[in-house]
Amino acid sequence: MNLEERIRVEPDGSVTAFSGKIEFGQGIRTAFTQLVANELDVPVERVRVVLGDTEQVPFDFGTFGSNSVAQEAPALRRAAAFARRTLIERAATRLGVPATGLNTQDGTIGDGNGERVSYADLVREAPLAGAIPDDEPLLPPDRWRHIGKPLSRVEARDIVTGRARYTADVRLQGLARGAIARPPARGARAKGVDDRAARSMPGVVAVVHDGDIVGVVAEREEQARAAADALEIDWEAPQREALATQVVPLREDADTDGALASAALTRSATYTLPSIASASIGPSAAVALVGSDGATIYAGTHRPFGLRDAVAGRVGLPQDRVRVMPQMSSGTYGRSSAPDVSIEAAVLSKHARRPVLVQWSRAEEFAYSPSRPEAVLEVTAGLDADGKIVAWRYDEHTNVHTAAGPDPRVAAMTSGRNAIPPYAIPSAHVVLHVEPTPLRTANFRSLAAAENVFAIESFVDELAHASHQDPLAFRMRHVDDPRLRRVMERVADASGYGRKVPDRRGHGFACTLYHGTYVAQVAEVEVSSSGVVRVWRVWCVVDPGLVINPDGVRNQVEGGIQQSASWTLLEELRHKGGRVATTSWDTYPIATFRDAPESIEVLVEGDANAPSTGVGEPGAVPSAAAIANAVFAACGARVRDVPLTRERVRKAAQPVA
Amino acid sequence: MRLVLTVNGTAHEVDPPPSASLLSVLRDDLGLTGTRFGCGSGQCGACYVIADGRAVASCLMPARQAAEREITTIEGLAQGEALHPVQDAFIAEDAMQCGYCTSGMIVSAAALLARDAAPDDAAIRDALAGNLCRCGVYGRAIRAVRRAADALGVEGARAPAMGE
Repeated sequence: MNLEERIRVEPDGSVTAFSGKIEFGQGIRTAFTQLVANELDVPVERVRVVLGDTEQVPFDFGTFGSNSVAQEAPALRRAAAFARRTLIERAATRLGVPATGLNTQDGTIGDGNGERVSYADLVREAPLAGAIPDDEPLLPPDRWRHIGKPLSRVEARDIVTGRARYTADVRLQGLARGAIARPPARGARAKGVDDRAARSMPGVVAVVHDGDIVGVVAEREEQARAAADALEIDWEAPQREALATQVVPLREDADTDGALASAALTRSATYTLPSIASASIGPSAAVALVGSDGATIYAGTHRPFGLRDAVAGRVGLPQDRVRVMPQMSSGTYGRSSAPDVSIEAAVLSKHARRPVLVQWSRAEEFAYSPSRPEAVLEVTAGLDADGKIVAWRYDEHTNVHTAAGPDPRVAAMTSGRNAIPPYAIPSAHVVLHVEPTPLRTANFRSLAAAENVFAIESFVDELAHASHQDPLAFRMRHVDDPRLRRVMERVADASGYGRKVPDRRGHGFACTLYHGTYVAQVAEVEVSSSGVVRVWRVWCVVDPGLVINPDGVRNQVEGGIQQSASWTLLEELRHKGGRVATTSWDTYPIATFRDAPESIEVLVEGDANAPSTGVGEPGAVPSAAAIANAVFAACGARVRDVPLTRERVRKAAQPVA
Repeated sequence: MRLVLTVNGTAHEVDPPPSASLLSVLRDDLGLTGTRFGCGSGQCGACYVIADGRAVASCLMPARQAAEREITTIEGLAQGEALHPVQDAFIAEDAMQCGYCTSGMIVSAAALLARDAAPDDAAIRDALAGNLCRCGVYGRAIRAVRRAADALGVEGARAPAMGE
């Protein structure tokens, strides 16, 4: 890749960096700023990072799988290092001295004898350019000024003053508002639209019926919604094609059944998790300006280039005539992989010939956003006489996890994510079953890892108790990876795992290796006599390789744990035949300030010699099992069904007659 | 429907539809987009503003009712370049991720500290219980409110000395 696609040193000496990744609150703009400032040896205030603008940034598949820092850190650092070296070479020519005698400092280059030249001077005649070498040397750690230092979010001042501009805050000249008429069943098509009443309502600019989209454009939001409600639409029931279950073997060792049959102890259990909502605080929004020769889309999206192509196809423009400009976005945790709201805004804008903002209502967000699939996880394991696992059979039943629909090529890495335990097991049989569902399901934070790790880490806890072993020691007997062992030991130390806790309280342990990031957690919960679970404290040790922004990592992991505690204790998206019934915060409550644990203590213990890996998802992955295991420790209730409601905990705590 | 709204100390004449909410007028007539739309039914706190000293959901307040009150939005908390202590504290604690709910949280916290200079943990949780955050920064936000209370306490203690 060429430098000019990645890094530009501006005429005023400031630096602009370009990446196809997207900020959703994970702090990647801040981490990228630190990386570039570090290698170019400039203050962070002088770096600006452009994310996802398809006219400005290099192509990128998108932001998912906690891969942004892992993929971009090496590339951005190399680009910035190459820029620095090029600047030094220019300075050598300018000053008439050898490059080896020159060094950078705060955006200037000096020879140590008082001669200095600024980056601004060095790019005045010609911008930096050239192919970035794959082996471009990076600054040695003793020269680092920004990597590894805590830094508040670079957008922080804009956020706290309200100046931050999210998608729904984009105000273009002549901006109109759109509202969509929703069908009674997903996939239903409008046969006929009677818009006589709607067209005469105040503020109405256009009524649009284009393929599967029926909507109204009006001057104001209230007017667009009122007119959309006034449309008389004859809906045609959807034709659903019957999809088959995809069966994807993930691991098939020889003779797992034989090993199970000859095991000294066998146990089986089934775990279930419901569908849950991304429950973004800001409902989906997009602003589109579509003309006959081009279009601009302002949106929150995980995949700016994918969105560009989807919009281009839908409104009939060449891909290179569509520009996607990602805006600050409410966190959507995977949901914005789907292009839906941008397509709606684009189609409405095309017909209304005005820029159009569509922002979904809260009810639309719950009812029509893709949600996390349901999961049923069946597991059987056998232990030998020494209490070690000798055989493992695991069947994961779930639905599609990707907005693009079922795809056997990616099923293992998406719907099957983390189905294979991180433990040394001689014989294992792990099979993924991707089953059809009437519900709209798609990308959700950590994909299937949160579900699989709930089942695996709960079951390992059960196996330990069944064989009278300490749950942590039992796990350790099956872990070879030194980095996983280290985070497990460290979190046990930090939490005092195994120490006595007050009555009705308990500690639960869980760990995971997620896309290269090592996480171990201990949760301390209290279970009331009526079965209410309160999470008091959570300890977490995370090793994401080389740490760029320690406080950024802590914030992400804390948030993942808090969100996961909410999933685990409170959340269930109810639906009937794919029609969502829980469409408000009343019927779909999430954790509030009152539910927040007293403390979530995250120790960031990275490995500076290992590549940086992501932290947006892994913190959320083991928490459900840590909480469920803590509930068992507190009151003897083994709850295998999420959410851990009062009724389920009470029922599981009943002594079996 | 012609109205005069007093927002952040300035009177504005607007002409919204009779059904318009304060939130809609703030965002669409006055361009004050720092107050966010979240649910439209007062359940999430993203649209909170201070009305006569209390944090309220601007999505539920009819614009004509707001015309009788002093409204302060997130944009009105800073004095020029000097941030409100709650804003400073949210930056210092990095108490944000996506930031969409942050305006509402800061508004709730500022209203709390204006009536209770030294809230305990439970009072902070109660005052902010109407502000939902999906990214999960509750712990940091609680610390930020405590930090802001401390900063205000120091300022308050200093104020009489300055007047002498």
